[in-house]
Amino acid sequence: MTHMHIPDGVLPVWLWILGLVVMSLAVGVCVLRLRTMDLRKKIPLLGAVSAAMLVAMSLEIFPLAYHINLSVVAGILLGPILGFLAAFITNLILALIGHGGVTVIGLNTLLLGSEAIMGHALFFLLKKRLTVFWSAGVATVLTLFITTLALIGIVAISHIDPELVRHGAEFGSVHEHEITVKRFAIIVLSLGLIGWIIEAFITGTVIRFISQVKPELLGNELHKDKVGQ
Amino acid sequence: MIDVARIDHWAASGSGPLHRASPISKAVFLLFVISAAVLSRNPYPLMTGYGVLLAVAAAARLPWVKAAVFSWYAAVFALLYGISLGGGAWIVSLFIVKAITPALAMLMLIVSTPYPRIFSLLSSILPEALVAGLFMTYRTFFILLDMMDNFGAAIRLRGGFSRGNLFKNSTNISGGIGMLLIRSIERASRLYGVMVVRGYNGSMAETGTIRPRREDWLPLGTGAVVFLISLVWK
Repeated sequence: MTHMHIPDGVLPVWLWILGLVVMSLAVGVCVLRLRTMDLRKKIPLLGAVSAAMLVAMSLEIFPLAYHINLSVVAGILLGPILGFLAAFITNLILALIGHGGVTVIGLNTLLLGSEAIMGHALFFLLKKRLTVFWSAGVATVLTLFITTLALIGIVAISHIDPELVRHGAEFGSVHEHEITVKRFAIIVLSLGLIGWIIEAFITGTVIRFISQVKPELLGNELHKDKVGQ
Repeated sequence: MIDVARIDHWAASGSGPLHRASPISKAVFLLFVISAAVLSRNPYPLMTGYGVLLAVAAAARLPWVKAAVFSWYAAVFALLYGISLGGGAWIVSLFIVKAITPALAMLMLIVSTPYPRIFSLLSSILPEALVAGLFMTYRTFFILLDMMDNFGAAIRLRGGFSRGNLFKNSTNISGGIGMLLIRSIERASRLYGVMVVRGYNGSMAETGTIRPRREDWLPLGTGAVVFLISLVWK
């Protein structure tokens, strides 16, 4: 389980509003950068990779009933700007079919979008030392581990009532709070570990396949910024 | 399993009262239900609201059983979150109904509203480039789904899938996804080129998403009832 789509009504209002604000800023910056690119090339790419992410999410791997999400593949192929927008589009369509909440599109996009950004950065960093398969695989495991920690962080923050914190008090006792977050972390990390390995293997194999069949897609061709660059 | 193709078929082929209501009224309906879920501190009003939504979905000839099943996808995170809070059955059931009630409302909207109308509504709040990206994603998704079906059939015929053999299945799926990505990029580029040649300039032709209709009373009334139940029943 590498992605968990947070539903509506579960997290505190201040947290999802903060998520929407940060996501809006991030999407705004990405759209501004997108406008400097060749839209005739970039919009189809964005649509194609977002659609591939949706198709991948609809595939089930026997016997685990596990769904992959291809966010790292999107980051590697599209770059951080389009990768983040692909995460937003995918989350919006998922929310439209009741798979993840509307109010938490912000937090969900920040999680999935950060996978695309981190996956991109780590892959091109590791590619200097490792083979394509291992670079993509290791980048995926590291990325998913960090974003799972971010998810646990969101849950940990959401357990604290900001009104109480502002007035010098804390939610329940510190010990009680630690236990509940720890329980959530154990559940998510133990389920996630299996998912990271599967996702890493698939990402590595997909990226290796692309590097063999169409290597120019990995040569930063798809995420050059300027028109005609 | 996400079944966007089936949802799209229901949205495009239905003719019930919710299908005839305007998209804006259904968006307001959704806001009412989400507000009810956010405000509620008691699972019972939301359970009642969920029941009201199911009854309206059945009366409006929507695929209510499938919608109810799909709405339970949202329960997974809510369950884990509720357990993490350690609040017992009350908290867990509250979080589950908080998650599945808006999910059901969203599904009622999506199975009664074709995507072009939803994108048209979104185009009033989102930048043009993003709406174009959404539209391209939607178009490409169905092309890819067909390609993946063909790929799946070919792999099965050649004995490529076997229960229990995770390594073999993952390798074959990965090959399919790699091929799918390359083809989808090529096809989407061609599709976008054709659309531009035919006069597509980034704006959607669909109109009438904001104009009120006679059938709007149903989504507006349903949303208001769910909201009032959660407001009155503390």
